[in-house]
Amino acid sequence: MSRIIDLADHPGVYAARLLAETGNEVIRVESPDGDVLRRTGPFLGNKPDLEKGAYHQFFNAGKRSLKLNLNMPEGRRVLLDLIRTADAVVASTPLPLEDGEALDVNPRLVLVRINNDEPELCAVARSGLLALTGHPGKRPVLLGGHVVYAGTGLYVAVATAAALVSLQLTGQGQVVDVSIRQCMESLVEQAMVDYKAWGRVTERCGYRGAITAVSGAFPCNDGYWMVSVPHSAEGWAKFVDWVQDPVLSADPSLADEAERDAKKELVVERLGMWSQQFSKLDIVTEAQKRHVPASPLSTPLDLVNDPQLTTRGFLAETDHPDFGRILFPRGAIGSLWGTRLAPAPTLGQHNDQILKGLGYTDSDLKALADSGAV
Amino acid sequence: MNGTEPGSSQAQRSNTILAGIRVLDFTHILAGPFCTRLLADLGADVVKVESATKPERMGSRKTSSSAPPRSREDRAPSFLNTNRSKRSIAINLKTKAGRDLAKRLAAVADVLVENFSSGVMDRLELGYEKLQPDNPKLIYISMSGYGHSGPRQAWTSMNMNLQAYTGLMMATGAKEDPPTAIANSWNDYIGGLHGCFGILQALAGRAKTGLGANIDLSQFECSVATFGPLLLSSIVNRTVPPRLGNRSSVAAPQGVYRCAGDDQWCAISVQNDEQWLAFVAAMGNPSWARDDRYTTVLGRQDDHDVLDTHIESWTSGLSNEEVERCLKDAGVPAERMRRINEVLEGPDGAQVFHPWDDPQGGGELTTGVPFTFSASLLAPLRPAPFLGEHSRVALEEWLGMSESEVRELEDQGALV
Repeated sequence: MSRIIDLADHPGVYAARLLAETGNEVIRVESPDGDVLRRTGPFLGNKPDLEKGAYHQFFNAGKRSLKLNLNMPEGRRVLLDLIRTADAVVASTPLPLEDGEALDVNPRLVLVRINNDEPELCAVARSGLLALTGHPGKRPVLLGGHVVYAGTGLYVAVATAAALVSLQLTGQGQVVDVSIRQCMESLVEQAMVDYKAWGRVTERCGYRGAITAVSGAFPCNDGYWMVSVPHSAEGWAKFVDWVQDPVLSADPSLADEAERDAKKELVVERLGMWSQQFSKLDIVTEAQKRHVPASPLSTPLDLVNDPQLTTRGFLAETDHPDFGRILFPRGAIGSLWGTRLAPAPTLGQHNDQILKGLGYTDSDLKALADSGAV
Repeated sequence: MNGTEPGSSQAQRSNTILAGIRVLDFTHILAGPFCTRLLADLGADVVKVESATKPERMGSRKTSSSAPPRSREDRAPSFLNTNRSKRSIAINLKTKAGRDLAKRLAAVADVLVENFSSGVMDRLELGYEKLQPDNPKLIYISMSGYGHSGPRQAWTSMNMNLQAYTGLMMATGAKEDPPTAIANSWNDYIGGLHGCFGILQALAGRAKTGLGANIDLSQFECSVATFGPLLLSSIVNRTVPPRLGNRSSVAAPQGVYRCAGDDQWCAISVQNDEQWLAFVAAMGNPSWARDDRYTTVLGRQDDHDVLDTHIESWTSGLSNEEVERCLKDAGVPAERMRRINEVLEGPDGAQVFHPWDDPQGGGELTTGVPFTFSASLLAPLRPAPFLGEHSRVALEEWLGMSESEVRELEDQGALV
């Protein structure tokens, strides 16, 4: 178990949450005003509150909070004392320290510097990801839920974990630089390959998949489902036999994938009319029995009692100080490691505990509080 | 110099992080191979188990059958990019000799990665319970669609299914928009990154405890986890969180605005009140912008629809390059929407793709890793292997196998 000091902004904050999921000790150092993550809605309980932002509540679960004013020299001194005891610091640049200060106090340190130069929407536009998201001809759109930042945070986690392996094997830390810009660019590599190989510029596709000639979201009586219709002639025949639509069954030319592609709108219309009779769970379950890749189209609310998530322990009952007994997402890694994460901390909740652990006395704590450093 | 022939693991430089770590790679398509490519870049010896009896289904998104110019005949371009820097051993797992060989390799591997459907590795007698006794240090990771347990265990999943099921499509877009997806294999990257993280943490743990691990990762859970905040909000509030489109809950105005030309756009994100004033000046101080309410972000958020209409009437008269340049000069964050050709070109082009020379003619650019280490090296880029290219040398290095033993396996039909 390593001690991780978390000073990451939103683009990197998932990294330290993942390190908490694998059982490391994570201390998040926070500004006394509460950072942007705490201010990002939606808010649990529907009222803006620095303690109840959904992004704070999820990404900072399992961490302890040390409130420090890093604009003051006394605050930075406390940070250096903390860094002296740490295995890794994961921080967004610019660091609140001079070059080399962190490594001077702790030559063994893994120092992960997260380099980001643009607000989310602009970075996504520059990277090529924006051009891939949206409906053809309509306004391109940012992936929802700030999931691009979950992706960049994952790269930060991988880079940190790699350096921790090296630390474990050699006893030596190092500086790791992560470029958020390059993280985003790497996620358009498929478009890069298509462009370099065939000169084809990938465009946004709405919700139509690209693997088979007919795929996409179709209406059910309680929402939508998503299906990739099999592309082989045999697969199509079995599919048509299930659907029993008179128009589709009556056209044998549709057995050919190119023909289906040409008549895509007709096929899509007929399938939509058929599937509207069913609930999404019923139709997806039946499709899966027939080995047709299908899934319901979910909102986040649809997932709160999902049986796959509850059965596997991804969602587990937790006693939350503010919300009582709720199902809490333990994480794709945390649920496998068996880690029970504490709820996200209040701002500065662990100040006394952490500072005393560093050897500060009660009068030291009072002096720091009086000066405004904590 | 001995042992430095191309293909020999000793030709790798010795100060990569995972130097000497052996990865036995049963993965295919993208999520798994993307994960193992990261391990290869960190210095691991990744040996990919393939078979001529089961050529990899590439799921190409291109329907034309014309071959790309200047390419290898044996592998699709996406395979070449995803599987570079790995070695390949051909093993026919349908034969007992092949399965026994795979078991022997697993006994000396550090990591085994697979992303078959639930039950496949067990049927091949290569499940964790079978392998662990001979190799208690083995880190075994499965990366299936839904995991190896639960009511969805046997469901088939593809990227678009997961984009739908995990909530991505309904979280993306503005309030009245239909479900909206991203035109790449988003979930494969999310799953692959979680897998790589898990493997690396298991390796660090093993260095302390000497114990391996069995990681049953679900790509579905990996993607749901990235929506953790929205899921948590739904659990507590029992409502669907609002879809924000291109808006920010903390900055305003923010959006993607249409510019002159065909399907051209620019992203603008005003972060604070000072930038708002600079933005107004850059637009030439139009009277609509001098409304007192707009001096604060709350005022701008309240009237965002009206602001968007005004801003777009300004941007529509300019190219997206002009909008970007004008606003950047004024200190206002703005980026034109780049398509892939624009991402790759020019002095400000993407830095993560590296030109390289595949001697067999496999493509001009490959994806690197988006981070660097001050003390550790990244492995040099090597072309994707031919199928079975390293069978002999890998068997010699991992198992000390002699030429006659290899020939016996060939006679048994195991090495194809």
